[in-house]
Amino acid sequence: MKALQTIRSSRKLVTLVWILGLIILWECGAFYIEAVKRTPENVLPHLWQIIASVFSTKVISNGQTATQIVLTNAGATLLRAGYGFLIGMAGGFLLAILMKLSGIVEKVAFPYLMLIQMIPILGMAPIVLAITKDIGVSRIVIAAILTFYPVCTNTLAGLKSVEQEKLDLMYLCAANRYQVYWKTLIPTCIPFFFTGLKISAPMAITASILVDTLQGDGGLGCMLSQSLKHAMSIYVFWQIVFLSAFVGVASSWLMGLLERRFSPQKRLAARKGA
Amino acid sequence: MNGSQTAIKIDNVGMVYRADNQEVTALTGVSLDIEKGEFISLLGPSGCGKTTLLRIVADLLAPTSGQVLIDGSSPREARLQKKYGMVFQSPVLYEWRTVQKNIELPLELMKLSKEERAERARKMLELVGLTDFAHHYPQQLSGGMQQRVGIARALALRPEILLMDEPFSALDEFTREKLHEDLLRIWGKTNKTVLFVTHNIAEAVFLSDRVCVLSPHPGRLSAVVNIDLPRPRTMELRDTPEFTALVAKVRNSFEGV
Repeated sequence: MKALQTIRSSRKLVTLVWILGLIILWECGAFYIEAVKRTPENVLPHLWQIIASVFSTKVISNGQTATQIVLTNAGATLLRAGYGFLIGMAGGFLLAILMKLSGIVEKVAFPYLMLIQMIPILGMAPIVLAITKDIGVSRIVIAAILTFYPVCTNTLAGLKSVEQEKLDLMYLCAANRYQVYWKTLIPTCIPFFFTGLKISAPMAITASILVDTLQGDGGLGCMLSQSLKHAMSIYVFWQIVFLSAFVGVASSWLMGLLERRFSPQKRLAARKGA
Repeated sequence: MNGSQTAIKIDNVGMVYRADNQEVTALTGVSLDIEKGEFISLLGPSGCGKTTLLRIVADLLAPTSGQVLIDGSSPREARLQKKYGMVFQSPVLYEWRTVQKNIELPLELMKLSKEERAERARKMLELVGLTDFAHHYPQQLSGGMQQRVGIARALALRPEILLMDEPFSALDEFTREKLHEDLLRIWGKTNKTVLFVTHNIAEAVFLSDRVCVLSPHPGRLSAVVNIDLPRPRTMELRDTPEFTALVAKVRNSFEGV
């Protein structure tokens, strides 16, 4: 018990050392840039300057401060990323089940899945925008497409990982197809499904930000490029960098949390640890 | 032999696989009548078709010739009527279900009530001596205990026949010998017909009323050895000359290994 506690606390220690190391590295760079560049904040500002900009009350554009701009636009982008993620998640899961149910569906759908995955998102986004003519819908569609593939392939791999003996057992007990899925296949694939979600959650957010850059009417990506072009304070850019990094990590962490709640295997592991 | 006394009738069963345009004969001309309450072993080296034969009886495979009758009906009817339970080589337990919930799984599929399931699981746990482990998870049990859960799950359906596919082959010698005694005790209490597949000669002799020796290339029944050792059998039986003689007799009945 004591050994376990030591490991737990040391893991926190490791994280702390990591964060401290990153801060020191960043600040070394910032001091160096400050000494050699005329506009150091465009390359690498000090962390305290970024933090100060968060609490600054200076109005930058449209009567909003930097933080207000970031938060309003984050709402527009992240909400759409979230919708797209949910749609991609449901679609990926359902297609995986359909592919498992029918070999024909798998044969037909799999090449398309691969194709979607191979087309770069930056190439796909303008096409989607041209079709939908709406940046909000485009964000949702792109986030959904990106979520779809990892969720679908991982879930399918999970469905296929069931041991033959378990299926034999189901057969011997004369289980119907619904029972086979509900009692055996779906519980087995849940951890795989969550692996897909953990991969795709940050991707959906990145994709939505990328889609924003295509048009000038709002969203994190739009503000990001405007700030980089010096249309507004550069600190909007730095705030967005930190915010999106944080949200990306948090989204993956949230999936882990949900997995511990909903995956039968993980619930078991948690109970054993207690 | 009285017809109603026959639990499993294997009649001239043959099995031919087709692989790469080549025909592989897994089994040929196997005939065997198994009486109710009998403990029968199918013994042989790998490739002799013993597991194939068991899977044919269990309706997991269809024979290419001959037929199997279980209590007068086809394997499919017998399966749907839950006339047999099966124990696999690995325990095949559901990691996320407790021991009790694992035993209840086939009963859930039969849509039995919660009370009925719990009651049957309780009796089965008592039978295999795992009452104290009802709420443990499979990973918390030893290999031998896991396999006992597998036996309990097969028996929970209240089948007349127990089909066992090398159930103890992955266990260490000490655990295996203990489980042999346990299995004979359970068999003595429940009067099931047991069809037991193994590649272990001593195991087959210790457990069985009759040992059916299968030889490979092609898989065929080459001898049936009656094991007329007294019951109940205990560990000490293995050290008697009668036991050793029967093991030798079985070993000598193999052909072409």
